Amino acid sequence: MHKRVFVTGVGIITAIGNGTGQTLDSLKKKTSGIGRLTLFRSIRSDIPVAEIPLSLDQLSEIAEADPGSGPVTRNTLLSLIATRQAMLSSNWDITSPLRSGIILATTVGGMDFNERYYGSLLTDDTHKDVITLLDSADCTEKIAEYAGIRHHVTTISTACSSSANAIMLGSRLIRNNRLERVLVGGTDSLTRFTLNGFFALEILSPTGCRPFDRNRNGLTIGEGAAVLVLESESVADPSAILCEITGYANANEAYHATASSADGSGAFLAMKEALSTAFLKPADIGYINAHGTGTEINDLSEGRAIEKLFGNDIPPVSSTKAFTGHTLGAAGAVEAVISVLSLRHQMLIPGINFVTPMEELHFLPVPEATPCRLNHVMSNSFGFGGNNTTLIFSRS
Amino acid sequence: MQAYITASGIISPQKTFMDTGFPDTMTEGISNRLTCIEPDYHGIINPVQLRRMPRILKMGLASARLCINRSAGKSPDAIIVGTGLGCLENLEKFLKEIIGNEEHITSVLPFINSTHNAVAAQIAMMLHNHGYNVTYCHRGMSFESALDDALLHLEEKTAQNVLIGGIDECTDDFMQIHGYLNYWKSPLNNLSLRHDKSPGTIAGEGSAFFMLSGESSLQGQPVLEGVHTFLTPGGKVTSEDIIQEINSFLFSHGTEKKEISLILAGINGDSYYDGVYYDLAHGYFDPAAGMAMYKHLCGEYYTSTSFALWLGSLILSGQNIPDEVVIKRPAGKKMDKLLIYNHSRNCEHSLILLSHGKI
Repeated sequence: MHKRVFVTGVGIITAIGNGTGQTLDSLKKKTSGIGRLTLFRSIRSDIPVAEIPLSLDQLSEIAEADPGSGPVTRNTLLSLIATRQAMLSSNWDITSPLRSGIILATTVGGMDFNERYYGSLLTDDTHKDVITLLDSADCTEKIAEYAGIRHHVTTISTACSSSANAIMLGSRLIRNNRLERVLVGGTDSLTRFTLNGFFALEILSPTGCRPFDRNRNGLTIGEGAAVLVLESESVADPSAILCEITGYANANEAYHATASSADGSGAFLAMKEALSTAFLKPADIGYINAHGTGTEINDLSEGRAIEKLFGNDIPPVSSTKAFTGHTLGAAGAVEAVISVLSLRHQMLIPGINFVTPMEELHFLPVPEATPCRLNHVMSNSFGFGGNNTTLIFSRS
Repeated sequence: MQAYITASGIISPQKTFMDTGFPDTMTEGISNRLTCIEPDYHGIINPVQLRRMPRILKMGLASARLCINRSAGKSPDAIIVGTGLGCLENLEKFLKEIIGNEEHITSVLPFINSTHNAVAAQIAMMLHNHGYNVTYCHRGMSFESALDDALLHLEEKTAQNVLIGGIDECTDDFMQIHGYLNYWKSPLNNLSLRHDKSPGTIAGEGSAFFMLSGESSLQGQPVLEGVHTFLTPGGKVTSEDIIQEINSFLFSHGTEKKEISLILAGINGDSYYDGVYYDLAHGYFDPAAGMAMYKHLCGEYYTSTSFALWLGSLILSGQNIPDEVVIKRPAGKKMDKLLIYNHSRNCEHSLILLSHGKI
């Protein structure tokens, strides 16, 4: 017998705020987190980014990290902040005997430390205390220890859909009664590695991203972490339930290493299969939080896939990447939390930086935060390697 | 949920690529690092792609392709890869351009090829496969996470055939940097690893892919009964903790400890960490059970249990334990169940239970 999967806690930190309160406030007021790079020196500092303007020390203080426990990466601190919020909002009891797990996602892992110490590590062992912090699993293990979890601990890395896949796996584990509760989410900090990588791919916006605009000119990299607590219907406290995860799907486009196809076949497949796992019709979806990176190819490809699936009845669509930037491995979870907020507050989330409609598409992004009766919200996350994942959140 | 292991394809430091059986002779050498014996990729991988393809992608694509070919060319319903460190060589290459060349990038290719999901994604492209596609990157649990996900898919009936792989590459930088943490022994003959009483181990690498199926019409195909992982932060763990984990894992798979004919242990010659395995062999498992090791053949790497799964499958289906891996032969003649137990520096532990399947 399948178990229903409820979201009972969320935590989020991005360039538009620390916590759901600040995040919602920025979304309503249409305040973008995109601005100038101040965190580190880079020859790309003229390119706008969506950074969290807090140093490692400041993040450490917010996370109440134990200063005696040695160096901690930016990823781990961001994750810890989001996890603490999520655990608090779901009344997570560390001592509970419930079957618990944790699935986090990242693409950069401890890259900030790599950038700082790798040169020195190639010369001598002065900084050997950071060696075990450089990979993608370090953050997950630190958070697992914090949350008292020893089983079902893993890390997913599927580029920009990483944390959507973490949420999908967590949902499947609960649905099939392998687990009773699970922490799922993702984290990626801003790094010179990704900034330069996307720059070299020539897909960074020189102005700040403009999802679904005719004159869109690329994506804007952001940073952040978001974590959700998922609980089985057998154990969730009804008063803590925020919404239900009813649909999920992962499909591969198998088209190109870094680009999506013009007709969005992978996106179409992911959305269609997610609807089918949720036993929903396209018309049931009240709002789509699009992947909407603001690159020429993504928005066209995703837009076409949406039009193909929803036909003449396209629900309100927006991308929140003009607020938070593209938080890469965290994006799926960041946008999942925003989708949960949209459902909880019965509100369409606006898209910003939009001026001119795309010629190829027949829908426009949501212009303002608008109250709206919402039962089901769809969230898309697509990544390099054609890794496409769609999640559906439903009112419970 | 059980899964039949219906085919495999493996590139390792041993001559494992061409034949389906255990190699006749073992590769040995005086070193603290074992490197894969790679096949001639022409005829396996598109020559245009081959020219600029990173080594780990070549190994991944070739072993996945071989596994698919051995599955009658059947494209899987899902592709799931575990890799502890991902495409490490390209990550290092791009990182060094950034820190050493002040962000003056000469090529974007290393960035594209540095993503952890590159292997799984390229396999999907090679096969034009639109199914479920995920990559796990969690140290000594990466391959196990892929196995677990595959079993869940078979249980959900969202897939009938799942291609899973464990893949990691070793690099010079990795050797040097982890050398500071005393991970490696001084160079020695890899086949003598077990008898070396010093701390440290030898590094390794490999790429092993398997087709897991919910059903099988063939007799004697090895069966993956289940997989279990647990974390012991900071290496704080006692034999009792481990015994409790093994007990509950075996119980949940309807298996009694006396049914285990052979323990395939992650013994890596590290005097600091190997005690756990011997303690279990002497104090916990049935005295009739045998014990074998595999890391002297493939070296230590995060997804080495994929090599162990290949070896364990061969042992069960052939009902024969090669002399080269035996620590202690089982008392009974017939082997029904085999348990792979591995831990990475006493932090990430994994258990994989195999059985002989239908005869």
